[in-house]
Amino acid sequence: MKLDEFKNKTFAMAKDKGFDAVELYNQSANQVQIKVFQGQVDDFARADTGGYSFRGLFNGRMGYAFTEILDGEAVSMVVEDAKANALIIDETEQSPIFGGSEKYPQYDGYSPELAAVSTEDQIDFTRELEAKALAADKRVKTVSNCAFVYGESKTGLVNSRRLELSQKGNGCYCWLSVVVVDQGETRSAFKFKSERDFAALDANALAEEAVGEAIGQLGANSVASGAYPVILRNQAAASLLAAFAGIFSAENVHKNFSLLKGKLGRQIANSQITIIDDPLLPDGLYSTPFDAEGVAARRKAIVNDGTLETYLHNLKSAARDKVESTGNAVKHSYKSEVSVAPTNLFFQNGGAGFDQLVQTLDSGLIITELQGTHAGTNPVSGDFSLAANGYLVNKGEIVSPVDQITVAGNFLEMFHNVEAVGNDLDFGLPGGSMIGSPSLLINGLAIAGK
Amino acid sequence: MLDRNLVGDVLAETLRFGGDYGEFFLEDRYSTRLGLVGGKVETGISGREYGVGIRVFAGYNSVYAYTNQVTRENLLTVARDAAQALNNQNSSDTVRFRHGEFENQHPIRIYPESKDQRYRVELMRTAYHEAKTYNELIEQVRIRFMDEDQKVLIANTDGDFVEDRRVRTRMAIEAIAAKGSEKQSGFYGPGAHMGLEFYDRIDISDYAREAARIAVTMIQADQCPSGRFPVIIDNEFGGVIFHEACGHGLEASSVAKKTSVFADKLGEQIASPLVTAWDDGTIVNAWGSQNVDDEGTPTQRTLLIDKGILRGYMVDKLNGRRMNMHSTGSGRRQSYKFAPTSRMSNTFIDAGESTPEQIIANTEYGLYARYMGGGSVNPATGEFNFAVNEGYMVRNGKIAEPVRGATLIGRGAEVLKQIDMVGNNLALGQGMCGAASGSIPANVGQPMLRVSEMTVGGRKGKGDRHEA
Repeated sequence: MKLDEFKNKTFAMAKDKGFDAVELYNQSANQVQIKVFQGQVDDFARADTGGYSFRGLFNGRMGYAFTEILDGEAVSMVVEDAKANALIIDETEQSPIFGGSEKYPQYDGYSPELAAVSTEDQIDFTRELEAKALAADKRVKTVSNCAFVYGESKTGLVNSRRLELSQKGNGCYCWLSVVVVDQGETRSAFKFKSERDFAALDANALAEEAVGEAIGQLGANSVASGAYPVILRNQAAASLLAAFAGIFSAENVHKNFSLLKGKLGRQIANSQITIIDDPLLPDGLYSTPFDAEGVAARRKAIVNDGTLETYLHNLKSAARDKVESTGNAVKHSYKSEVSVAPTNLFFQNGGAGFDQLVQTLDSGLIITELQGTHAGTNPVSGDFSLAANGYLVNKGEIVSPVDQITVAGNFLEMFHNVEAVGNDLDFGLPGGSMIGSPSLLINGLAIAGK
Repeated sequence: MLDRNLVGDVLAETLRFGGDYGEFFLEDRYSTRLGLVGGKVETGISGREYGVGIRVFAGYNSVYAYTNQVTRENLLTVARDAAQALNNQNSSDTVRFRHGEFENQHPIRIYPESKDQRYRVELMRTAYHEAKTYNELIEQVRIRFMDEDQKVLIANTDGDFVEDRRVRTRMAIEAIAAKGSEKQSGFYGPGAHMGLEFYDRIDISDYAREAARIAVTMIQADQCPSGRFPVIIDNEFGGVIFHEACGHGLEASSVAKKTSVFADKLGEQIASPLVTAWDDGTIVNAWGSQNVDDEGTPTQRTLLIDKGILRGYMVDKLNGRRMNMHSTGSGRRQSYKFAPTSRMSNTFIDAGESTPEQIIANTEYGLYARYMGGGSVNPATGEFNFAVNEGYMVRNGKIAEPVRGATLIGRGAEVLKQIDMVGNNLALGQGMCGAASGSIPANVGQPMLRVSEMTVGGRKGKGDRHEA
C-alpha cells in the first residue's frame, strides 16, 4: 500500500468511527554508518526505514497509534488503537489539529553535494581519521571507536484540515575515541563533529584534538575539596545545558516539573547570559521550517540578557498560557506523542577568547568534560553533582591535569554566578536536540576530590 | 513468521556474495505506552514495529543492513548489497536449518492484547493515589506504563532457525516532594519479562508509597558532605555500581579490542575475595531474561568472578571470533535497527555472609546509599560515576541524618578490590541499559555491600570524620 492510499483509507475510516479531526505524520530515513578498526572497515551498516504516526481528536481527546508496516491490518489497527487510546485520556485541553501558519520560512536542509559523496570517499575519510589519530603520538595505543555516519530523512505531515507539509534533510557526522597509554597509565578522549559540508570535516584537526586531550590528561590527579572558580569549557557547558533543557518547556512548567515556574519576565541569570533556540540554524541537525504540529518555526531568545523572555510552547501549552506557539512541538519519532522540546539550543557567544577567560580565571579549574549528566542532575531541583575531568590553573597558566573530582552546584544559581562568557560556541553530541555553548567562567562551584 | 525457504534464500545470498556467515533477524513488536500526570491520563500511544536486520561476517569484519520493506525482492537485494560491501570471496551458498525447538522458560499468562486500556489505567490510578496521598509534601506524581509483545525470528547460516516471543511490562512511578521553592524526586520502576499477571504478583501500591517516601525523605535532607570515606551501598538497584564499573568492562565488545581494563585478565584476582558475580539470562520471568539472545543462542548463567578471580566474559558471536571464545548467549539489541553485540542480561554480585545490620554496625563513619540512581563509565579507564537517590550519613555504627545530592566516583578495578563486607540480602532491580546496540532491559543486583573508601561528591564542604 502506498502512502496516499493509506492516508485516504485511514481518514475515511476515522471519519466513520467518529473522529473530529485526524493527522498522519510520516518519517523515513536512509543511513550509512562506517566504523573502522586497525585500517579495516570492521562494521558497516545501511538502513532504510520509516514509519507512520496517526493521531486524531475523538470527543475532544487526542489518541495516537503508529505502524511501520502498511499491510492489510494497518488501516484498522491505527484507527481502532487511536480511538481506544483517546477514550482513556482525561486531559480535556488538547492541541487542535492545526490548519497551518500564514507563512513558512525558507529553509533548505538538504545538500545535493553531500548526498553525492561516494561510499568509497566516506570510507577513505574514516580510515584517514583513524590513521591520523594513530600517527599523532606514539603513546596512542588504539582508536577504540572511529565512525562516520551519513543520513537522509524525510518528514511529511498531512491532516484533515488540508494542511500538507514536507521537508527533506541530510547531514553527516563522525566521532572517534582514542586511548593513550604511558608507563602503565591509560587515558582516553572523545571527539565528535557534525557537518553538512563533507569537505569541511578535517580528519587531521579532529584526530589531533582528541589525541591532545587524552595526552593532556596523563598524570592527572584529584585536587583538594573546596569551592573553586571554574571555566566550564564549551562542550562541558553544553552537556550541562542539555541535561537541564527541559526546564524551558512550558509543558514542564504547567506540570510543576520546572524550576522556572513563576519566573517569566524575571532576571534569572547574569545579564551576560542569552539563550537562543533557533530551528533555522544553518547546518543544524535539527533545523526545520515547521514543527511537529505544522506550526512555522522561528528563532527566539528564551533568555535575553539574563531575563527569562519565554518558555517553549506547542499549541496546547500556548493556548493554556494565552500566547502563540513558539513552534517547539516535537515528535521524537513517529512512535512518540507530541511534546515540547528545543531544536538547536545554545548560549549565545560572549566576547572573551578562551585564553582571555583563563587569564581572568587566574587560579582555579578548567572543566573539559562532565560525566553521567543523565544521572547526576536533578532537572526538578536544578541540583547537579557530576564526575569531571579538566586542568588546574594557577596565575593564568595551566599547571596540571585533574581527574577523579566531582563538581556540584545548582543550575539556576550557576546562572547568576557566570562572570564571563567565551566566544567559542560549539555543539555537543546530538540527542533529539542540538545543544551548544561557549566556555563559561563561573564563580564558586563545589569541587569534591581528595 | 516468515517462510523458511525465503529466509534460507536470503541467507544463501549472503554467502554467495562474500560472507562467511549470515544472520537474519525479523521482528514484529506491538507496544503500548501510557502516561498519567497529576491524576490525569495525558498520553496513550500504541503501535507496531516491523522490520528485518541482515548481518554478514567475513572474518572479523561485519556488515549490517536493516529495512522495513519486507518483500522477497528487497530482502535478497539487501542481503546481496550487504555481502558485497565486504569485498570478500566466498563460494559456499548452502544453508540447511536444524530443528530449533526449545522449551519456553518464561511462561506468560496474561498477554497484553487480552486487556483493554482501562485495565492499565486502573493500575496507574492506584499507584498515583497511593503516592499522592502518602504525605502532604508530595506535590506531583507522574506514572508511565508500558508493555510490549515482541515476536522474533532469528536464523543463520550455521543452521539455527528459532522463533521466540518476549513479553515485558514495566510501570515507572516518579513522586515529587516540594517545600518552598525546593523540589526532590523519588523513583521506583518495577518490571518483568512477564505478562500483565506481573501486577497480580506484586502490590504496585508498595512501590508507589516507596517512591513517595524517598521524595519526602530527600526534601527534608541536608546536602551531602564531600570527601573520601566508607560507602555502604544497599541491595537491588545498588547493583548499578557493578553494572557500570565492571559489567561493561566484561562485555566482549570492549574486551575483544582490548580497550577494557579487564582484557587478558582471566584467572587473575581482580576483586576482593568476597566478590562472586554472575550474568544470568535464564532467571525465570526476570526483566533481563530471554530464552535465546538476539543472535539465536540460548541464554545461560555465566560465572564472571569467582571469589575475586576473573572467570568469564559476556561474549557475542562476532567478538567471540576475535577472542576465540564461544558465545555466552549475550548478543542483544534494542530492535532490528541495531546490530547485536555483547550485553548484560541480569548481572549481579552474589550474596555473602554479613547481615545488613552487621555492616551498618561495623561502620564508624560513612555514607549509606539506600537507593542509587543511574551512572556511566569510561570503559578504557574504568572511571565511573553514580548518583545516589537516597542517602544517609552513618555515625558510630548507626544510620543518621538523610543527605541529598551525593555522587559516587571511582575506578571499577579499584573499587572491586575495596569491597570489604558483603551482605546476605541479594535482590535485583530493573533498569534500561544504553550502549552500542541500543537501549535494552537489564537487571542489576547485589546484596548490601561496603566499599572501604570512595570519593563522594556533594555540595556541602569536606566531611568531618570526627564529628560527634
